[in-house]
Amino acid sequence: KAKSAVRGRVVIEEEDLEDPLWELEMALLESDVEMSVAEAILDQIRTELVGQERKFTESTGDLVDEALRDALLSVIGVGQFDFDRRVTEAEKPLVIVFTGINGVGKTTSIAKLANYLDERGFSSVIANGDTYRAGANEQMREHAETLDTKLIAHEQGGDPAAVIYDAVEYAEANDVDVVLGDTAGRLHTSDDLMEQLAKIDRVVDPDMTLFVDEAVAGQDAVNRAREFDDAAEIDGAILTKADADSQGGAAISVAYVTGKPILFLGTGQGYDDLQRFDPEELVDDLLGLE
Amino acid sequence: MVLDDLGSSLRGTLDSLRGKSRIDEEDVEEVVKEIQRSLLQADVDVSLVMALSDSIKERALEEEPPGGTTARDHVLRIVYEELVDLVGESTELPLEEQTIMLAGLQGSGKTTTAAKMAWWFSKKGLRPAVIQTDTFRPGAYEQAEQMCERAEVDFYGDPDEDDPVKIAREGLEATEDADVRIVDTAGRHALEADLIDEIEEIEATVQPDRSLLVLDAAIGQGAKDQAQQFEDSVGIDGVVITKLDGTAKGGGALTAVNETDSTIAFLGSGETVQDIERFEPDGFISRLLGMGDLKQLTERV
Ligand SMILES: Nc1nc2c(ncn2[C@@H]2O[C@H](COP(=O)(O)OP(=O)(O)OP(=O)(O)O)[C@@H](O)[C@H]2O)c(=O)[nH]1
Ligand SMILES: Nc1nc2c(ncn2[C@@H]2O[C@H](COP(=O)(O)OP(=O)(O)OP(=O)(O)O)[C@@H](O)[C@H]2O)c(=O)[nH]1
Ligand SMILES: [Mg+2]
Ligand SMILES: [Mg+2]
Repeated sequence: KAKSAVRGRVVIEEEDLEDPLWELEMALLESDVEMSVAEAILDQIRTELVGQERKFTESTGDLVDEALRDALLSVIGVGQFDFDRRVTEAEKPLVIVFTGINGVGKTTSIAKLANYLDERGFSSVIANGDTYRAGANEQMREHAETLDTKLIAHEQGGDPAAVIYDAVEYAEANDVDVVLGDTAGRLHTSDDLMEQLAKIDRVVDPDMTLFVDEAVAGQDAVNRAREFDDAAEIDGAILTKADADSQGGAAISVAYVTGKPILFLGTGQGYDDLQRFDPEELVDDLLGLE
Repeated sequence: MVLDDLGSSLRGTLDSLRGKSRIDEEDVEEVVKEIQRSLLQADVDVSLVMALSDSIKERALEEEPPGGTTARDHVLRIVYEELVDLVGESTELPLEEQTIMLAGLQGSGKTTTAAKMAWWFSKKGLRPAVIQTDTFRPGAYEQAEQMCERAEVDFYGDPDEDDPVKIAREGLEATEDADVRIVDTAGRHALEADLIDEIEEIEATVQPDRSLLVLDAAIGQGAKDQAQQFEDSVGIDGVVITKLDGTAKGGGALTAVNETDSTIAFLGSGETVQDIERFEPDGFISRLLGMGDLKQLTERV
C-alpha cells in the first residue's frame, strides 16, 4: 500500500464503493431496472473494482460510472443480430410469432412490422392468432386494410395455432416472404393460457418468436420475460411505448433474464413509429438520468 | 406458476424480532431496509419509499409499544398504519346517477374496465351505459360494443365519427335514460400534448362527476409523471388497478394515489366483465409487502 501511495495510487477498498454503489442502485431502480438484476450488475462492478488501484486524480465515482457503462452494455448488447439480414437470408416464408402479456402492443407492433417489411421490399401475411379478445379481429382487419396486407383470421373462439398454420400455407402457396402471427394477450400466471402458447409454438414451430413488452413496465418485467421464454422460447424482444417513458430499464431486465436481444423499440402509435434498437443509445439515456 | 417469493425476507426479518420486547435502532434499520426492498420491488416510487421508510423509522423508535406488544408487532403495526394512511379507503362511489370518465395510458385496460364497471353497477341495481369516445384505435368501437354485450349493458359509440368530443356530447344525450354513464377514452400518455388537450376537451364536455385513472398493475416508476399529468389535465378522483391476476404488485397505484391525492376505486383481475372488485386496503397492502393477513396480525396489537 505504501508503495502505491508513493506512485500516487490508492487501492480501492470495498467501503469506498459503498456510497457510489448505493446511489447507483437507486438510480437503476428509478429507471425501472429490476432489483435482482440491478444487484447482479452492481455485484459485478464491485468484484471488478475492489482491489484495483486508481490514481489519486481519479475519483472512485468516475471509475464506478465507467464500470457501470460497460456492465450495462454487456447486458443490453447481448445477442444482437441484424434483423433485416436475417429476413433476407432466411428460407421463405419466414414465420414470426409474437407473444406477450395483455395490452403491451403486440398487434400494433405486427402492423408496424408489416409496414417495415414492405418498405424493405418483403411481402407479408398477417395471421390473427388472437381468437379471444373482443374486437381483436376488427382491430387487425383495419390495420391490414390500411396497410394493404393479406390477413388470415378465423372466427372468435377458434384455434389460434390453426389460424397461423393457415397463414403459413397461404404464404407457401403465394410466395409470401414473411408470416406475422399474433397471439392473444395473456398473463404468465395463467397456466392454461401459457400451455396454449407452448402448443402454438409446437404446432407452428416458428422461425422466430418475438416477445413484446412495454418500456413503462416496472419490476414485473423479469417475471413475465422469464415465463414467456420458458413457455415458447423467444429469439428477441420488442419494447413498445418507449415514447411514454424516458427510462427504459425494463429493457435491461428483459435482456438480462432472457439473454436475448431487444430488436425494436415502439415509439408511438403510427406505423412508422418503429425503430431498430440501439444498445449504446439506451445506456447513454440510462446514465444521463442520474 | 410463478413462486411468490417477494416479501419472504421481510417476513424473515420480522420473525427475528418475534421474541423481543424492546427494539433498538439496529433492529429498526434492518426492518426498514427490508420494507424499502419490498416497496421498491412493488414499483412504488423511489422517493415515496424513502419518505415512507423515514417516518416508519422515526415512529418505531419514538413511540412506546403498548404493553405486552412484541417489537415485531409494534413495527408491523406502524408499517401497516403508514400504508393505510397513504392509500386510504376505497374511492367513494354513491349508488346514484353519475357520469364517470376513464383515462389512462395505452393498453392499460380502460375499455375492459368500462364494461366491467358497467356490469358492477348493473349488479347494484342501477342502469349503466358505456360511451366509447376512442376514435383512434382500430377496432375500439367493436371491442367496447362486444364487451358491453357480454356485460349486458347499454352502449353508445359512432364508428363513422372521428371527433371524440362530438361523440361524447351525442353519447350523453343518447344515454339520458341511464343512471351511470361511463365514458371510455382513447389511450394516451403524459408526453402526447395533442392527446392531452383532447382529453381536456372531452372532460369539459362531459363534466364527469368522477374521473378515474386506469393503471396497469405492472407500471413502473413512470407512474408518477403520468399520474401528475392526468391530475393536472382532468383531475383524478380515483385509480383503477388492472391485471392484478399477474405477479405485479401494483405499487405504481400507490404512487399515483399519493401524486393525485386520491384513492383507489376498483381492482381488475381478469379479462371477463365479472373480474372486478371494489378496492379493499388490507389485501392490497398485504400484496404490496408480499405478506398475508396483515390486518389480522395488527389487530392483535
Ligand atoms: N404510445 C404508444 N402506444 C402504443 C405503442 N404500441 C402500441 N401502442 C398502443 O397500445 C395500445 C395496445 O396496443 P395493442 O397492439 O392492441 O396491444 P396488444 O398487445 O395487441 O393487446 P392485446 O391483444 O389486448 O393483448 C393501443 O392503443 C396501441 O395504439 C407505442 O409504441 N407507443
Ligand atoms: N389478465 C387481465 N387482462 C386485462 C385486465 N384488464 C384488461 N385486460 C386486458 O388488457 C388488454 C388491454 O385492455 P383494453 O381494455 O383494451 O385497454 P385500453 O386501456 O382500453 O387500451 P387502449 O384503448 O388501446 O388504450 C386486453 O387484452 C384486455 O383483455 C385484467 O384485469 N386482467
Ligand atoms: Mg392484440
Ligand atoms: Mg380502449
